[in-house]
Amino acid sequence: MGQRQGSAATDAREVTRITDGSRDGPGHGKDDQVPGPYAYTVWFVCTLLEATVLVCAVRKNAFRRYLLLNLYMAASVVASIARYNILSHYGYSSKEYLYFYYYSDFLLTILLFFALTSLYSHIFAELEVGRYIRTGAMVLLSGTALFSYAVVQQSSSRLVTHFVVEISQNLYFVGLVLTYVLWGAVLKLRETRTRLIQLILSIGVYFSMFAANYALQNLYQSRASIFEYLTPLFGCFLPLSWAYAFWRIPEEARTVPARLAVVPR
Amino acid sequence: MSRKLAVILLAMLVLVGAMSLKTVVVAHGNGSVILANGGAPQPPIPWDNGGAPQPPIPWDNGKAPQQPMPGK
Repeated sequence: MGQRQGSAATDAREVTRITDGSRDGPGHGKDDQVPGPYAYTVWFVCTLLEATVLVCAVRKNAFRRYLLLNLYMAASVVASIARYNILSHYGYSSKEYLYFYYYSDFLLTILLFFALTSLYSHIFAELEVGRYIRTGAMVLLSGTALFSYAVVQQSSSRLVTHFVVEISQNLYFVGLVLTYVLWGAVLKLRETRTRLIQLILSIGVYFSMFAANYALQNLYQSRASIFEYLTPLFGCFLPLSWAYAFWRIPEEARTVPARLAVVPR
Repeated sequence: MSRKLAVILLAMLVLVGAMSLKTVVVAHGNGSVILANGGAPQPPIPWDNGGAPQPPIPWDNGKAPQQPMPGK
């Protein structure tokens, strides 16, 4: 009991010490403890776009057809509002915001994973392999969870938080690979549904933008301030492109694959 | 090979590919994490203690030979 109390006290001291550290960057206010107007504006626009996706899907009768995609967007809106409440109530450097941010991110990543799996079901609908896709998704999720646990099991403190952040990041990479595999399937099966292609390509570009941003950030560490402007903007890309796909592209639209013209000699 | 085993094999292949990619990317990274959900400002990771060198463990007595036990 005493040991547990001691461990909790060390935990609290460590978090306070870490979050007391200054955090420079354009997205942050002058006192380093609150996000600046730019960060708030981008966040607000992003949340507005996520809500727009839901409105567009309902107006175009696509809410139930792409249920998991819309559930992910709805969860993102709810998470944004809750994060804003916690941030304004407890502050940017608070433990409450820190833990809520990473735990909600974990849930959102799992929802995005299932949304991506639902796109597999759409692509392979004619082959009637829904059961196998569900099995594959569960095996993949369990494997990622096991791998994440194996990585963090050496951590003596905050094992659960370590695990939550690790699995979020691992699922991000799994999602990245799955999107490219899905794009390969779209090309192989000569999928023609324009809206579905737009939704899949949007996720692919979204994941790739974050990966490229991370790589460039590490390559050019002296220009970190530029990337701090860019990273939150990338978060707006997915809701923007999905809203466009639901609003502008009808379900019946088809993309005819390009064909090579045979020129008679 | 049954279809179920093929699905499990494919899932494992995807997992191996993703974790290899992650290892390559993170090995060259600065310790930050990639999170791709919305535009909320990301707080620092709870265990990110900066890049300061780690001090030696207090109970590490170096490489001096150990004294034989008196009873032996």
